[in-house]
Amino acid sequence: MPELKLLLKHKARTLDEYRRIGGYAAFQKALAMDRQAVIDEIKKSGLRGRGGAGFPTWIKWNGIPKQKTKRHYVLCNADEGEPGTFKDKELMESTPHQVIEGMMIAGWATQADVGYIYIRAEFMDCARAVKSAIDEAYAEGLLGKNIQGTGWDFDLHVHLGAGSYECGEESAMMSSLMGERGMPRLKAPHAPLPTIAGLWDSPTLINNVETFACAPHIIQNGGDWYAAMGASTKNSRGTKIFSVSGHVNKPGNYEIEFGTKLSDLLELAGGIKGGALKACIPGGSSVPILNAESVAKAVIGYEEIGEVGSMVGSGGCIFFNEHTCIVALMWRTAKFYMRESCGKCTPCREGTDWLFQIHDRIIKGGGRPEDINLLKQICAQIDGRSFCGLGDAAAWPIVAALKVFPHEYEYFIQHGKSIVDTPQSKLMFPYAEPVPV
Amino acid sequence: METIHLENSRGRPKAPNPEQVELKFSDQAVQELEALLTHYPDKKSAILPTLWIAQREYGGYLPPEAIAEVAVRLQRSYAEIEGVATFYTMYHVGHPVGRHLIEVCTCLTCQVCGAYRIAERLKAKLGIDFGETTEDGVFTLEEVECLDACDRAPVLQVSDAYIGPVDEAEIDALIEKLRSDPGSGTIRLADEIVKAQLHANEQRDIR
Repeated sequence: MPELKLLLKHKARTLDEYRRIGGYAAFQKALAMDRQAVIDEIKKSGLRGRGGAGFPTWIKWNGIPKQKTKRHYVLCNADEGEPGTFKDKELMESTPHQVIEGMMIAGWATQADVGYIYIRAEFMDCARAVKSAIDEAYAEGLLGKNIQGTGWDFDLHVHLGAGSYECGEESAMMSSLMGERGMPRLKAPHAPLPTIAGLWDSPTLINNVETFACAPHIIQNGGDWYAAMGASTKNSRGTKIFSVSGHVNKPGNYEIEFGTKLSDLLELAGGIKGGALKACIPGGSSVPILNAESVAKAVIGYEEIGEVGSMVGSGGCIFFNEHTCIVALMWRTAKFYMRESCGKCTPCREGTDWLFQIHDRIIKGGGRPEDINLLKQICAQIDGRSFCGLGDAAAWPIVAALKVFPHEYEYFIQHGKSIVDTPQSKLMFPYAEPVPV
Repeated sequence: METIHLENSRGRPKAPNPEQVELKFSDQAVQELEALLTHYPDKKSAILPTLWIAQREYGGYLPPEAIAEVAVRLQRSYAEIEGVATFYTMYHVGHPVGRHLIEVCTCLTCQVCGAYRIAERLKAKLGIDFGETTEDGVFTLEEVECLDACDRAPVLQVSDAYIGPVDEAEIDALIEKLRSDPGSGTIRLADEIVKAQLHANEQRDIR
């Protein structure tokens, strides 16, 4: 199947350019609609959160109290940090108004007073683009007091992070926005949902950049129109942007309709480069790895990709060729989670460190035969026992690698070197010989 | 008797005496802070943006005096501000970094696309390891986690710009170009971060 461009169809950085492609028409339409009708359109569309968890978007929108007793907030998660993902970056850089319009529609539907867009501080091009788009929107009266004569006030602020993967987790993002260390907060059923008590204990709607960017299209064309896309899948509607990278000829963002085959996505990205396809991480570093056989079978959809044992995740799709050492790849994945663990809960703080230590001794040639079982045990102790989902996310890729590529671990431990012994595979190891100046 | 050394060059610097905290923010910084405070319902929420202002005002890093000033200005404790600042990798707490901070992404896609070769080349060229600063104070080299520009792997972040895909052959030229840039990329990044959070009308009011 070819690409189906909706969110990535246009590049429109300025308000003029965005107006020319029909920008803010959906917002005007929403303002004329009843608030509940806006939420109902989102419900009809079947839109699910694009940040990774795939939670039905309308439930969040509908969960904000209709009887307003406190200030309501809208928070856009633009702290894109999942290794392999760069879709939000392109969305913010190429069409920042699309994201802002989505937030405004959400703000209108949930009677919000203030919106924040939490962007990771590394993304300065995004921050500048979004900031200048917000400035333009204020100048045109799209933001601020008494918007378009409706009596509704809505302010939108850019808030920049300061370097932390954990802040992409929604409750940790709220901690960070409120001036704390970016650690997750207690969640339902032990605490109220953010839609009831989020930022500063007020109702807060949190969605990913891509989710907000979908809203104008749904309101403009109707929920049924949106839901018709991806109808071949069980419960995945619309389009999804996949950030394709790794050993492919044309890395980049590709927007496809749900129901497209994973192998078609690889083809869109120009096919595999430098050798035969070996593995694929379809949805960012947290999701289970697939072998070439599964890639050939996989259909993209939240439930469909589960049938081959992986997840849509955030859409950070990395393909690997035959010169990839899976053990070295998992060593690096373990290192990522070890460095990015916020340290709040014991399973993740200690577990990610152990996962790294064991991988480190294996790739240095000191692996022990019992290490495979030890890794499995540690993963089992993290998965489902960590305070937030990012602990689980640290365990899943390793569990999958041990299941899909067990012989690579066995070989490495037995021989003290990788089963993949090619010059290209050596690039993956930091302990290679020094480079001459 | 054996002496136990609790201090090292990368250790935790002592907090200044509360009575002796000098407020050094420029007028511009104070006005920026006032504008940013209006974005949040309480002062605590402005900790991150204020730390960015402080990082710019104090020359690209956060010495104890900077932490203390943020604490005083936001009416929070020194320990709280220090605790927040140390959580985030982009605040340089306690120790100065070079004028140009070169951050090498080595995570997954960059790893398989040769980031470690690039890193080794940078280390050899600059004569420093990850986490170190050259003696002349110009460069600091860091290994960072995914910069989320995997389509440009292997990618570097230098101040507020991404550079990639980087070829090993381009490294020498990049180093020379940065060396001849007398400005501080580290300060520029903090400044850009502060400005991106201010609205146009707020910026107009700041002299």
